[in-house]
Amino acid sequence: MRTSLVEIAQIENWLLKRGNPQGRLLTEAKILCSPDLKEKVHLQSASYEAIHQYGREKLFQEIRAVEYRLFHSSKHRSFQNRIRAIFKH
Amino acid sequence: MTRVDELSARSRSESITEWYVKVFPPLAAYIQRRGGSLEEAKETFQEAIVLYYEKLALSGFSPEKTNEAYLLGLAKKRWFRYCARNRGREGISHIDIAEEKEREPIPRKLLHYLEQSGKKCLDVLQAFYYENLTMEQLAGRFGFKSARSATVQKYKCLEKVREQVKRKAMCYEDFLS
Repeated sequence: MRTSLVEIAQIENWLLKRGNPQGRLLTEAKILCSPDLKEKVHLQSASYEAIHQYGREKLFQEIRAVEYRLFHSSKHRSFQNRIRAIFKH
Repeated sequence: MTRVDELSARSRSESITEWYVKVFPPLAAYIQRRGGSLEEAKETFQEAIVLYYEKLALSGFSPEKTNEAYLLGLAKKRWFRYCARNRGREGISHIDIAEEKEREPIPRKLLHYLEQSGKKCLDVLQAFYYENLTMEQLAGRFGFKSARSATVQKYKCLEKVREQVKRKAMCYEDFLS
């Protein structure tokens, strides 16, 4: 793996508390000494947030697709009748 | 009912369908009795599924009660929270509605930009970090030769996304500060 990817992996281990503790301690020392590395940590952390949100949005889309099928497909008529009966009152 | 080790083995849609069939009817009845509509019940359940999925996939959570009971409880809490926000707090002050910390959402425009400039990479990354797939599963889904090559691709994608976030950092100082 090229050097920049190794560095990404080290930052990941430090941010997500993975890998061996000694390696994380070394990364932490490097971060403290390097403003450049500190910025990379910050950006990588923001990237994880973006990935999480992207994953969440994909899941929402999948849930809505399942919901649509359940409420509109003739295969799920008994489910639809059950729900309709609840909201009839 | 689905547990964390089964989540990756079967399709996510199958699990979601099973959750709907088993848990949505009692939740809908519960919400209807409290004056809620079908649309409100649907929205509440969607949010509960997301929270439940994240607990199973990301933290290896395994409920003490049955999974159905846990998901139903989670959905009821979401309903209380919805009521507190939209209908005033009367009658629910005794219930602890702060069951989970909300994440600060990233700006939609930034996410859209990341999607435009590399959807494949985002798909790879979310499969690993959000769905919690193993490297072998990642290789299988995206056609990488091996787990090792999936690892390298994952880091390359992360580097790319980080670069894009950096490029847009000036526009989204609030989010990135």
